[in-house]
Amino acid sequence: MAKNTQSDDVILRLENVWKKYDMGEAEPLIVLKEITLKIKRGEFVTITGPSGSGKSTMVNIVGALDISSWGSVYLKDINIAEMSESSLAYLRGKTIGFIFQQFNLLPTLSALENVMLPMQIVDESDSKAKERATQLLESLGLKDRLHHKPNQLSGGQQQRVAIARALSNDPEIIIADEPTGNLDSKTGKFVMDFLSRLNDDGKTIILITHDIELVKYAKRIIHLRDGMIEKERINKNEAK
Amino acid sequence: MRLKKSFQLALNILVHSKLRSWLTIIGIVIGIAAVVSIVSISQGAQQTLESSFSNLGADIITVSPGYSRARGFGFGGEREGGGPPGSSSSLSGKNLTAKDVMALKSVQNVKYVMGTVSGRVDVSYLGKTASLSVTGVDSSIWSDITTEKISSGRFLIGSDSYSVVIGNRVATSVFEKAIPLNSKITIEGKSFKVVGILQEGSSIFMPEESARQVLTDVGSEEFGSISVKIADVNFANQTLNDITKKLMLSRGILNDKGRDFSVSSPTSMQATIQSTLNTMTIFLGAIAAISLIVGAIGIANSMFTSVLEKTRDIGILKAIGSKNRDILMIFLFNSGMIGFIGGLGGVILGGVAASLISSMSGITTSTGGGPGGFLSRLGSTALLTPQLIIGALFFAVLIGVIAGVVPAYRASKLKPVDALRYE
Repeated sequence: MAKNTQSDDVILRLENVWKKYDMGEAEPLIVLKEITLKIKRGEFVTITGPSGSGKSTMVNIVGALDISSWGSVYLKDINIAEMSESSLAYLRGKTIGFIFQQFNLLPTLSALENVMLPMQIVDESDSKAKERATQLLESLGLKDRLHHKPNQLSGGQQQRVAIARALSNDPEIIIADEPTGNLDSKTGKFVMDFLSRLNDDGKTIILITHDIELVKYAKRIIHLRDGMIEKERINKNEAK
Repeated sequence: MRLKKSFQLALNILVHSKLRSWLTIIGIVIGIAAVVSIVSISQGAQQTLESSFSNLGADIITVSPGYSRARGFGFGGEREGGGPPGSSSSLSGKNLTAKDVMALKSVQNVKYVMGTVSGRVDVSYLGKTASLSVTGVDSSIWSDITTEKISSGRFLIGSDSYSVVIGNRVATSVFEKAIPLNSKITIEGKSFKVVGILQEGSSIFMPEESARQVLTDVGSEEFGSISVKIADVNFANQTLNDITKKLMLSRGILNDKGRDFSVSSPTSMQATIQSTLNTMTIFLGAIAAISLIVGAIGIANSMFTSVLEKTRDIGILKAIGSKNRDILMIFLFNSGMIGFIGGLGGVILGGVAASLISSMSGITTSTGGGPGGFLSRLGSTALLTPQLIIGALFFAVLIGVIAGVVPAYRASKLKPVDALRYE
């Protein structure tokens, strides 16, 4: 497995990444082009852009859920294209926590079981997983919802469970894909403030959104258009 | 992910599965139930067979008239009486004679030779009449040859005349009132004294001379069969061959084509019935196996649909770190569980069905009044052994797992990004 150390601060690096989808006899659809990007440890980066700009594909690539058609993606200096599926799954489980717009909780498991699951997947003991999951859910105000199934929880509560799950393995990177998209403004603000606090605690946050209101939480804003990085700027008015 | 967690997630899928999964399980229940009931009835029949023939005695060889039918013993009616050797009804072919009895006495390793006559007669007791099987025996040696056991009274002896020994069922079940020892019964208008009651059976035994008087269709020098007791069972096959040769010689038969009698030992009869039973079990088992194959296809179909329904969940599991192997194990456990639950239900249903069939065949025997057919007695016990239960469960799980391999493999190979996108 190739290690390509450029800087200890860089946790995620994309070098000339392209993503195309074959469309049969039609022209292939190119959704990402010439993406070169470095994300440092502890950064709060927002990737934004209009619909169809390639944001979702970008989430999949940086989250190691998909591999690029060309170019290289380095996660902690490891080229993920050269990893086996099993190794990549383990690295993903230990290093990245996902927060999705649709929450993506397993519907037949309770809130507690959903949060315990990533820890159990990486072979944490049940007792330790339960202890940490309980702590996380309590810290997110869900002490009395531990044994509720997702369909017994409100959208805001489900997203808090999803946040707890994303944090369960204490990952270095949190990828939040439109995390407030299905929430009311009050709950949305709670989620964003929580992400901001996590960033203050040293977590690397990658936020994908088209909501211009959320951009203010980021330290760096990357704007995509037509699959390319249109512009990139540092946010001097970062919200605290 | 530990196997325990994969198992828990598989159980979770099953518990929350839709009606479809339970219908799939019913398919396996029926298949396993069919196999279990067939095998348990077959095992019960084999056990009854072994016990029946062990009662017959390995040292008894029976000579019967007719050849071809004797080879197909068991289901044609030669032993319709269900009694011991010597109680068979006459067959097509030239009857056995006193000359044959004399000839057999000179065969090496032969200890006793007894000709018997038998048939059905009307028996009356206290004004009630029943049609029962009567066997006339050589009363001077009958007690040495027979494998019957006396419950009360005694066996027939040489000096007996107009005396009978009756089977337990005749004494207790046939007539309204039980027949006590030393009481008189009327057979074809003649009075007989009951000098002994056997532990089981539904035949009446009397001296050969008396039997010839009540059995009108038996010739004066003819026998329905000849029972031969041999001295050393280790030479049973050799003696059987010697008896055959001797009889062919004495009856003037030159080759097998002209043969008009059959010689059989309990061992050879048992082997014939065993072989027929095995063939029947294999045939019925094959039919049951078809229903299991259909059940397995049902599991595979259900698993494909389940994987489709769970695609998004698979994507979530992969996003949070599950490996392909974890997903594979979850779905294999799931299909194995379907097989196991189906197998468990099948064993219970199969056991119940087998005992129902057995009890129904038992009723046929006991309500028949007369001697029960051998086949119905074979079906009177089903044997559900621990080996059969464990084997059936193991087989059901195996079928489940095999049926789940392809769907589980496909689930494990789903790309997380595609699975998460699935609506």
